[in-house]
Amino acid sequence: MNRAKRAGRWLVERAEDRGVWRHVAIYAASVLLLLLFWEVASVVIRSLKGGREYLPNPIVAIREMIRLGPLLFTNFWISAWRLVLAILIAFATGYPLGLLVGHERRLDELISPIIYIVYPIPQVAFILILFLIFGIGHPVKVAIVAIALFFQLLVSARGAAKQISLEHITSVLSAGASRWQVYRHVVLPATLPSILTSLRVSIGLGMAFLYIAETAGAIDPERGGLGSFIKNSAYNTGAQFAGILAMALLGFCLYIIIDIVERIVCRWTYAARRSS
Amino acid sequence: MIALRDVVVDYGRGARAVRAVDRVTLDVPRGQSVALIGPSGCGKSTLLFAVAGLIRPTAGEIRIADESVEGPRRDTALILQNAGLLPWKTVWQNANLSLFLGREYPKLTADAVLEELGLSDVKNRYPSELSEGMKRRVGIARALSTSPQVMLMDEPLASLDTLTKERIQDLFLKLWARHAFSFVLVTHDIEEAAFLGQRIVVLSARPASVKAVVDNPKMGGLDYRKAPAFRDVVLRLRTELERET
Ligand SMILES: Nc1ncnc2c1ncn2[C@@H]1O[C@H](COP(=O)(O)OP(=O)(O)OP(=O)(O)O)[C@@H](O)[C@H]1O
Ligand SMILES: [Mg+2]
Repeated sequence: MNRAKRAGRWLVERAEDRGVWRHVAIYAASVLLLLLFWEVASVVIRSLKGGREYLPNPIVAIREMIRLGPLLFTNFWISAWRLVLAILIAFATGYPLGLLVGHERRLDELISPIIYIVYPIPQVAFILILFLIFGIGHPVKVAIVAIALFFQLLVSARGAAKQISLEHITSVLSAGASRWQVYRHVVLPATLPSILTSLRVSIGLGMAFLYIAETAGAIDPERGGLGSFIKNSAYNTGAQFAGILAMALLGFCLYIIIDIVERIVCRWTYAARRSS
Repeated sequence: MIALRDVVVDYGRGARAVRAVDRVTLDVPRGQSVALIGPSGCGKSTLLFAVAGLIRPTAGEIRIADESVEGPRRDTALILQNAGLLPWKTVWQNANLSLFLGREYPKLTADAVLEELGLSDVKNRYPSELSEGMKRRVGIARALSTSPQVMLMDEPLASLDTLTKERIQDLFLKLWARHAFSFVLVTHDIEEAAFLGQRIVVLSARPASVKAVVDNPKMGGLDYRKAPAFRDVVLRLRTELERET
């Protein structure tokens, strides 16, 4: 196929609005493919390691998932609400602050140096002091994740606010918009698509931090969250992978939620794709 | 209606100041039109933004309806080059922007204006789903929906194909006759200036100052483009502009 034809097909496929069922089918196929890959990997590792089981096969993990159902489920919910709460806190603080810093020049000059100094420090470095402040219960776990995501969202909201086209701002100003209305009608909607993208990135990052938070310090086997569940299953690889599967499921659910939110709050970006 | 007295606009201050507009004096009587034409980068947009109340002049005075311009005015509408539509608002929402901003305007409703501009069928679409010509018309609808006394336009039809451009110019002429606003049109299109400006002001290279004023009393008819007077005006403008660049 020549280049022009390929480009043409890409444009047509991009514009097509695929049905929900097609998406479901593609996801199902992807899951099957992943399981197959996992099975192959587990067979290969077993034969290389002389029959010892390091990577359990998917059937074993799924069987463990069912056997440990109630316990896994409790821990799933604990991790889920910790993560969601941390994301919400980070979003509710980092997003507006990032917009302010990105849009108001004076604030930018004042605050950006602080951001640039603090942002690159790995937030795990603060984990000990957080344990000292918050103790070892829920709050510390939420705090660790929220702090990490706060900077992530702050920096990307600031960047997005700086990208806003001057023309849009001029246009609402000339129509008599107040300061707040510029935020409401331009800054906020203009930055939504990119902030949702960084929210997606935040899920992966948040999971990693949550895992660290849940495995560091004292571990409560009953109500410790998926991180401690996995760590507690150190001698049962099947259960360990059941925990990992549950984490994957959690991430997947959050992705889907963000997709749905995006379709609702960023409707215009889908319209653009439809007609181009 | 609009009166500019020795308007000067500088960007920046002190030694690094860049003068964009240099002592421009101009009057636009009520209901009349003026086209501003000049070399690119000369300061046309700056001058227009000052009249719109978005930039404060460094010196001189700008008055609209006998009041000094202190900021964006309710009776003044600005149309930007790419119509300045907000991509996240539908055609209807864009046309009703002033309503969303909590400003109330008595006479016209955006629905009537959209109807008048032939946009009723697309009012629930987003700007990205419109052709370029439609977008510019939405920009006009938005301005018109506030029943302005003064319309300020910054190259509103730039980069459209000739036919679409001329069709919107015709439409605009009709709207002007019907709604009787005063307008200032910034353009770099000589024929557009000659078709829509009762007076055409030729600006110098930066900083913009008035180089020549060309009267264009015969304009106003839809078939003016074919008239000899139109050709004469176009020729004069071309000569003035070529002298400037
Ligand atoms: N914010 C700014 N700060 C400093 N200089 C500026 C600023 N905006 C514009 N200028 C300068 O002022 C001059 C006039 O700009 P302006 O946009 O008014 O010109 P214009 O005639 O509208 O140009 P164009 O034909 O490209 O639309 C230009 O030389 C530009 O570089
Ligand atoms: Mg300009």
